[in-house]
Amino acid sequence: MPLGPQNSAQSAAGRMIPDVGAARPAPPWPYLGTQISSPAVAPGTETRMEARGGPGEDWIPRGPGPGPSLSALLSELPSSATVRYRGPGIRPWGDPEPPLEQSRQESWSQWQTAPMASPEKPPESQALRELPWPMEAKKLLWRLQALSRPAKPVPGIRGSKGALLVGRVWARLIGVPKMLVPWRSILMKIGGQYGAGTEAYFGLLRFLLGLNILGALFQGVLTLLPLLLLGPIPGPPSSGVTKTCGSYDPVPQGFVDYVTHLTNLLSGEGHLEWSPLFYGFYPVQLRGGTFQLPVAYLLSTFVSGLLCLFLILRRSMSGLKQTLLSESGALTSYSHRVFFAWDFGLQGSSPVELRRRAIRYELQVELEEASMRKQAEARTGAQRAGLWMTRILLNLLVLALLGAAFYGVYQATDPHKNLQEDPVVQATPLLKLLIAYLPSIFISTANLILPPVFSLITSLEGYTRSRQIQFILLRTVFLRLVSLVVLLVSLWDQITCGGKPEAEACATCGYDYSILPCWETRVGQEMYKLLLFDLLTCLAVPLLIQFPRKLLGSMCGGRLGRLVKTMEFQVPEEVLGLVYGQTLVWVGGFYCPLLALLNTVKLLLTFYLKRFTLFAFCSPASRTFRASTANFFFPLVLLLGLAISAVPVLYGIFVIPPSKLCGPFRDQPNIWAAIPNAIQGLSQGAQDFLFFLGTLSFAVPLMLVSSVLMVYTLTLATSYGRLVSKLKGHLKMESESKVLLAQKIVELSGEERDL
Amino acid sequence: MGSSTSHLSKELLTEYQELTFLTKQEILLAHKRFSDLLPQESRNVEDSLRVRVSTEQILTLPELKANPFRERICRVFSTAPERDSLSFEDFLDLFSVFSDAATPEIKSHYAFRIFDFDDDGTLNKEDLKQLVNCLTGEGQDTQLSTSEMKQLIENILEESDIDRDGTINLSEFQHVISRSPDFTSSFKIVL
Repeated sequence: MPLGPQNSAQSAAGRMIPDVGAARPAPPWPYLGTQISSPAVAPGTETRMEARGGPGEDWIPRGPGPGPSLSALLSELPSSATVRYRGPGIRPWGDPEPPLEQSRQESWSQWQTAPMASPEKPPESQALRELPWPMEAKKLLWRLQALSRPAKPVPGIRGSKGALLVGRVWARLIGVPKMLVPWRSILMKIGGQYGAGTEAYFGLLRFLLGLNILGALFQGVLTLLPLLLLGPIPGPPSSGVTKTCGSYDPVPQGFVDYVTHLTNLLSGEGHLEWSPLFYGFYPVQLRGGTFQLPVAYLLSTFVSGLLCLFLILRRSMSGLKQTLLSESGALTSYSHRVFFAWDFGLQGSSPVELRRRAIRYELQVELEEASMRKQAEARTGAQRAGLWMTRILLNLLVLALLGAAFYGVYQATDPHKNLQEDPVVQATPLLKLLIAYLPSIFISTANLILPPVFSLITSLEGYTRSRQIQFILLRTVFLRLVSLVVLLVSLWDQITCGGKPEAEACATCGYDYSILPCWETRVGQEMYKLLLFDLLTCLAVPLLIQFPRKLLGSMCGGRLGRLVKTMEFQVPEEVLGLVYGQTLVWVGGFYCPLLALLNTVKLLLTFYLKRFTLFAFCSPASRTFRASTANFFFPLVLLLGLAISAVPVLYGIFVIPPSKLCGPFRDQPNIWAAIPNAIQGLSQGAQDFLFFLGTLSFAVPLMLVSSVLMVYTLTLATSYGRLVSKLKGHLKMESESKVLLAQKIVELSGEERDL
Repeated sequence: MGSSTSHLSKELLTEYQELTFLTKQEILLAHKRFSDLLPQESRNVEDSLRVRVSTEQILTLPELKANPFRERICRVFSTAPERDSLSFEDFLDLFSVFSDAATPEIKSHYAFRIFDFDDDGTLNKEDLKQLVNCLTGEGQDTQLSTSEMKQLIENILEESDIDRDGTINLSEFQHVISRSPDFTSSFKIVL
């Protein structure tokens, strides 16, 4: 018998929806009709059940006669009753002449005379939109509810109206920040065409833009604005006067030609060195004496650092919550890849085709990896030993490459091989610029060359693809951030004479004043150069690499051309680039207060540039990146960058003596000393309180209380986890019992039939 | 703001706001897009609330045109007897479930119904096979091989079928969904 819609309608009529209980109210119309005594009796159901046990489902116990099969019986249960209110045979609400069968018509009139069975707990108005019912049913329930609660605004007309107004205003206010966030439509478009990973990159860029604007605002308002408003604008430091710590004369005298101007602009020297851009410019005191510039300078750094920390934590916490909830990916990868593979927001036939190809590729890769894993388990001892030898060798190779890169960076800033002293170099400004940018060139070259080498090496190590990607990311993160650290270490070496305060160059002033009369400005200059070079690389790569590649690919046709032409947006590498840039700003922000402002401009340019190259050159990713991993992992790496950048800044504030010739801390023994001095000016009570905060008797109880809280939260989390797994076990057991009972019923009813 | 016949009444708007996850602007936009699909003579307010638009017309919308699940979506949200046309309220329900603000529970409910190709209330092997074919492509060369498909479906049932009855019912499906944080962001259509 063919299984037409009528048959299924009949069979639908043969089932009564079981009441799911107070959790969900029964829908107020009898879409499934009246109850028929047992499902086995109605002829329609039989046909349906027979047709159900199709080929392949041969484990279903077929009773000797026509009886309910296991699957039909199981689908009667409340747990599997999907409310098919839009199913076949359902009359739309208000349809005047429904061709109902007798039974349904009876039940219809039955329902109309009887009042709606009110559920035990009337759902609040919010729950109505969460019910998976068609609009007509929801409207009916809404209107019925409106009748039954006439006096809802009980606490007085004024109170309710006021509360309503406040609620409306609050909803509007909440909506405003959402409207202020820029580029929402662009991000949605990118997400639809290129996947959630690329969208996460641009979202991170937007977030960093916000961070930088805030940082620039703080530092501008607290340091630059008072300087400009109150003055006096400090003139160049006295030239020719030699004090105990040498002389400092950054401003070039006489005529400066155009080329030198350009090189000065790009390397932060010359006129730029004595400008509000760098630390050295700021005076110790402002006119009027009320505004303490040193204190404000320090506070702006700390406040913006803490604000960044708070915002990043907030952003990563939402990602963390989601990642913690989902179990380990290995357990449910197939279901995930099939059920959640499709992004319903995709539009246009070519993105859809590409996504389909990507999904097929992923599924095939996943199945392949599974078979590979099975193979790996079957490896003999000798094969395993060989594999591990290869892995160790390759890791040593990676370490050697990293070491070579770091050594190169170190050497590029070594003063003893300082090529800048060479008179030939001094004459040609271009060479001088090149030498000045040597550290940046080294770092950027290493960052361009080594990651592809790492991917090649990792592919030889015999790991699965996902493990490979994690290794590559790890190594690239290491390369990027530690090369920066090496640069800072070499600078530190220069400034503090290798950490030996008793060395003769550092004995008098605490730092090497002969080569670095104003070391803070020098550090700021290095960060400035790195940032500029990063921007230049960002501009150069599409122009010099991607555009020619695309041109070449379209010129030579065929497979090779397509291979050359297809470029994908490498999300992890791009994100690491963003994190690297932001770490630069955090390190240099104390020594170059306007760096955050420069980074804001840089990020704006980067956004539009990357968007252009994305749409012009890149094809959608063949391997999609999960959005939740992105939301958790990227802020985490940002946090790592913040932590790494905090070390040199705090070290410079607390340990290294400030320059005597420049900056707002020139007469202090160390930079932090400005704060206690300022506290002396406060009232006695405030002083005592602030000093108490710094003592051990405050720190130790605080640490104890925090540890107790942490242990408590950890124990709570473990106990919840244990409860969850116990409940899962119960669920499994209950399901097994249910299946067993259903099988018994099938057998019994089959036997009954035989009798 | 124009004559009352060309806009939804305030009470109706408020009601729709209460009963769906859409904001006022989104409801008005949906109404406009729906009216554009109607023939010229039924574009006023009363008719637009009454008349149904056939599935073929709905599928001309750019948001749905290329979606491999487009026919299933129209079928699931339709309240017509033959399930081949959508009224305005069905249309609103569609975009409400696919909106940003909808809860994961209601999204998972409708996702289950969309994936249930034979409308029998559970996802059996045939449903899963059709689902995978929808995802990978319609042509012969874009589908997985038979052995790969069999292996994949076995793996899926192994992971998600808790009660081992060979099918995935709604609660098992929702259990799988609850462990994935990516679901709400992928089950989204914005007008």
